[in-house]
Amino acid sequence: MGTHIEDLVNQKVEQIKNKENIFDSGTVIKVKDYIIEVSGLENVTYFEKVTIWEKGMGYVNQINENSVTVAIVKENAPIKIGDIVKTTGEQFKAVFAKEAIGRIVDIFGTDLLSGKAFEKIKYINIENETIPIMDRREVKRPMLTGIAGIDLIYPIGKGQRQLIIGDKKTGKTQIALDTIVNQGSERAESENDVVCIYIAVGKTKKEIKTIYNELLKRGALSYTTMVVATNDDKQPVVSLIPFVGLSIAEEYMKMKKDVIVVIDDLKKHADTYREISLISGKTPGREAYPADIFYLHARLLEKGCQYKNGGSITILPIVETKGGDITDYISTNIISITDGQIVMSEKEFAKGNKPAINYKNSVSRLGGAVQKAEIKSLGAQIRRTFLSYLETKEVYELANMDEMTEELRNKMKIGAQMQEALNQPKFMPLSNEEIIDKFEAIVKQEGYTNEN
Amino acid sequence: MKVVGKIISISELSVKVLLKDDNVELRDILVCNFNDQEYKFEVVELEENIASLLPFKRVNGLKKGIEVSLDEGGLQMEYSSSILGRIYNSYGDGIDGVKAKSKTKRNVYDRTLSVAEISVKNNPLWTGIKVIDFFAPLQKGYKMGLLGGAGVGKTVLIKELINNVYKKFQSNAIFIGVGERSREGKELYDEMKADDLLDKMSMVFGQMGESPCARSKAVYSGLTAAEYLRDENNQDVLVFIDNIYRFIQAKSEISTELKRIPIENGYPTTMASDISEVEERINSTETGSITSFQAIYIPADDITDDAVQSVTTHLDGQIVLDRKVAEKGLYPAINVFKSSSKAIDPEKIGRRHYDLVQETLKYLSRYEELEEIIAVLGIDELSEQDKLIFYRSRKLRNYFTQPLFVSENYTGIKGEMVDIEDTLQDVEDILNGVYDGIDEEKLLYRGKLNGESRKEEEPIEQ
Ligand SMILES: Nc1ncnc2c1ncn2[C@@H]1O[C@H](COP(=O)(O)OP(=O)(O)OP(=O)(O)O)[C@@H](O)[C@H]1O
Ligand SMILES: Nc1ncnc2c1ncn2[C@@H]1O[C@H](COP(=O)(O)OP(=O)(O)O)[C@@H](O)[C@H]1O
Ligand SMILES: [Mg+2]
Ligand SMILES: [Mg+2]
Repeated sequence: MGTHIEDLVNQKVEQIKNKENIFDSGTVIKVKDYIIEVSGLENVTYFEKVTIWEKGMGYVNQINENSVTVAIVKENAPIKIGDIVKTTGEQFKAVFAKEAIGRIVDIFGTDLLSGKAFEKIKYINIENETIPIMDRREVKRPMLTGIAGIDLIYPIGKGQRQLIIGDKKTGKTQIALDTIVNQGSERAESENDVVCIYIAVGKTKKEIKTIYNELLKRGALSYTTMVVATNDDKQPVVSLIPFVGLSIAEEYMKMKKDVIVVIDDLKKHADTYREISLISGKTPGREAYPADIFYLHARLLEKGCQYKNGGSITILPIVETKGGDITDYISTNIISITDGQIVMSEKEFAKGNKPAINYKNSVSRLGGAVQKAEIKSLGAQIRRTFLSYLETKEVYELANMDEMTEELRNKMKIGAQMQEALNQPKFMPLSNEEIIDKFEAIVKQEGYTNEN
Repeated sequence: MKVVGKIISISELSVKVLLKDDNVELRDILVCNFNDQEYKFEVVELEENIASLLPFKRVNGLKKGIEVSLDEGGLQMEYSSSILGRIYNSYGDGIDGVKAKSKTKRNVYDRTLSVAEISVKNNPLWTGIKVIDFFAPLQKGYKMGLLGGAGVGKTVLIKELINNVYKKFQSNAIFIGVGERSREGKELYDEMKADDLLDKMSMVFGQMGESPCARSKAVYSGLTAAEYLRDENNQDVLVFIDNIYRFIQAKSEISTELKRIPIENGYPTTMASDISEVEERINSTETGSITSFQAIYIPADDITDDAVQSVTTHLDGQIVLDRKVAEKGLYPAINVFKSSSKAIDPEKIGRRHYDLVQETLKYLSRYEELEEIIAVLGIDELSEQDKLIFYRSRKLRNYFTQPLFVSENYTGIKGEMVDIEDTLQDVEDILNGVYDGIDEEKLLYRGKLNGESRKEEEPIEQ
């Protein structure tokens, strides 16, 4: 029965004899949006960079028995059947340049503000093997955002992966920007240098420029790089951009720096990946996402860690939800990967509570482990009383205030004060000391009872 | 090593090889070297002279035409007492840097139990966690599932069980990390080491950043280690798995890659047999027992999910964690209506415990109805009888929260273990109105209540 295969093999050998360049070049035999099929390229390696003569560039995303599938990342002119494709002998790589700090760069390492490439560059893998378990250390150093609701109640540590999740226009990006800007004051005190990387996944050029201006205005660009894929980039570019950003982060981490990475956002990323998968003919699973969608995000976010050399990567991925539902497939996948989530709520936003954090659904899986002793016990206490207030408020909302016990009335009053104290305008960071002063005043007043 | 064929196609998660040797079987390990890198694969499908292989790691840089050889013996795990105190990857390699010579190894698939071998006994095993001991008590040899959506407290409970059961009983334990966070794995290892508790434990990790092949193999390697302790050392072994859902998830990724037709939600058609293959190995014999705690992730908070259901059929008991409870800050966030165990039987736990469980469930289900009424009408509209049920239920609910040793970082309170007798007494007291005059807040995050609080806080007449 193997004769068919043998025939094919012989046929191929025949072809090789006739056409010597079948190893390093091929011709396009099928074009399906940004995925093309090429015959030839016998010598190509998996994930190699290939060029489509005078027209563009792509990488090998599948090597089949009789052809090669290439994902296009750059297309200067429409690719047609019969176009010549050539191997490059190199893997498709990302570019690391120290000069990129303060700039907006794309996947090819081009500075989008000047349109030029950087001078001193190093080619790096777009994706490295996951950092081994034994090379990781305990996440315990605080990464301060300057936002009381986070630093006090749901703290983030260096090396933590903390999701920011919520509907459109609820202040998700703002939390990330506040965090980046706050590193300016943190940098002075930190033993390691801090580098921030903002990764835009398929955003509009206007959004990107607006964020750039915000960061510029507040002096945050002296330690921040923006790695972007705009919404008119090829889908394979959009799907690779978070890996590129994290690969750059790994370079800095290995230089013992504390890196903070924002990915805005992973829902868009999941949808892009789904599109590519479906076009490539992968079997759809739940909500038509391919089966490896969890693995895609897991291996991306597992790059966040406290590394053995003292450096770290903190990741703040953002996920957009619909109708405030954080229990859909992609959201729960990512929640089950990250070390906690800050849930943003449209309802709170509308009430004027900003940042519009939903404290009931938010979690920090590291909790007090990443807080300094001075703020740790206060944080645990405030979280408990505040959550208990929110829950009680719901049940007793319709009860008559006058008939409440004094204890209950006090609880309501103090809860409301806490809510007030948690509200904070954008770009107005508070230090740990300021947060402690503000909230100790609340718990020290008369009528406050700490159940434990 | 003998060359058996060469690579003819490559995609992200699978590789095909044209065989020139018909001695290759399913689950054989094939190896190749290219550009100073070693690549390993497992054979998962054979069709005529073409083998489909699963790569152990990423395949970037690999190309067609490379020759592959057979690694004799297949996937193996250390099968000696030198597993204790060690930490392994899915493929049975030690990753803790300890230089230890292997004594004996065993293929990770070579063990099935016959009906005759399996032993069923009834010895209670108390965990000191109120909700578990009360609603879903367990016995030695049980398979306990801890089900929950993302971030509702499965890992916290598993760690508390390691703390309470493994530490207290000083039995041997295997921890299998499947598709979960590397950070948690390392932290568990560090904590065990710092507390000098590693000597009776062995850990195997195939975490979420690793390939689907690695994630699915961790279970087999871990179970081989557990079988060594049970079969060769005749011990009572504890097996902790976080998270068995990830095993099925990895299998679906593999099956999609092989272009097999899936059932609903992309799960493989072989799902039930895949899970049975491993679950049937987790059993007790006449000479040794395996008690297991398995965290089960519920995707998209959908408990009817096929993969979840296919695991729960194997369980003797289950604790279901619920986001709605967690949102209220009540931990462990257990859904009491969905949690139970085969030991909830007057013959096994005694009439008193059994009746208290029934009575408590009655109160709590009425409470759920009352909550809806209150949302519309307010508390004042309830009848006196319902008011009593309402307030007592809230106290029960609060009473079942508990400060855990491993959740000190979240609650800021020291952990406590509670004896089942104390739990029964406290629940009985709450139901009988002993605590009617006490503020419900006072019952949150406490250990036991009886004794001290009874004297101190005499019920105030209404
Ligand atoms: N703490 C705050 N104080 C004042 N304004 C705020 C605060 N947080 C957010 N905002 C404002 O709310 C608006 C929405 O914020 P942002 O763009 O961060 O939301 P988003 O959830 O990222 O939205 P999108 O869906 O567009 O991504 C912005 O105008 C922002 O300035
Ligand atoms: N018993 C508990 N007490 C207090 N907080 C808890 C408890 N269980 C869970 N939590 C909170 O929920 C978070 C998620 O728990 P975890 O066990 O990691 O979830 P899962 O494993 O189900 O994803 C914890 O980090 C903690 O903040
Ligand atoms: Mg935004
Ligand atoms: Mg977990």
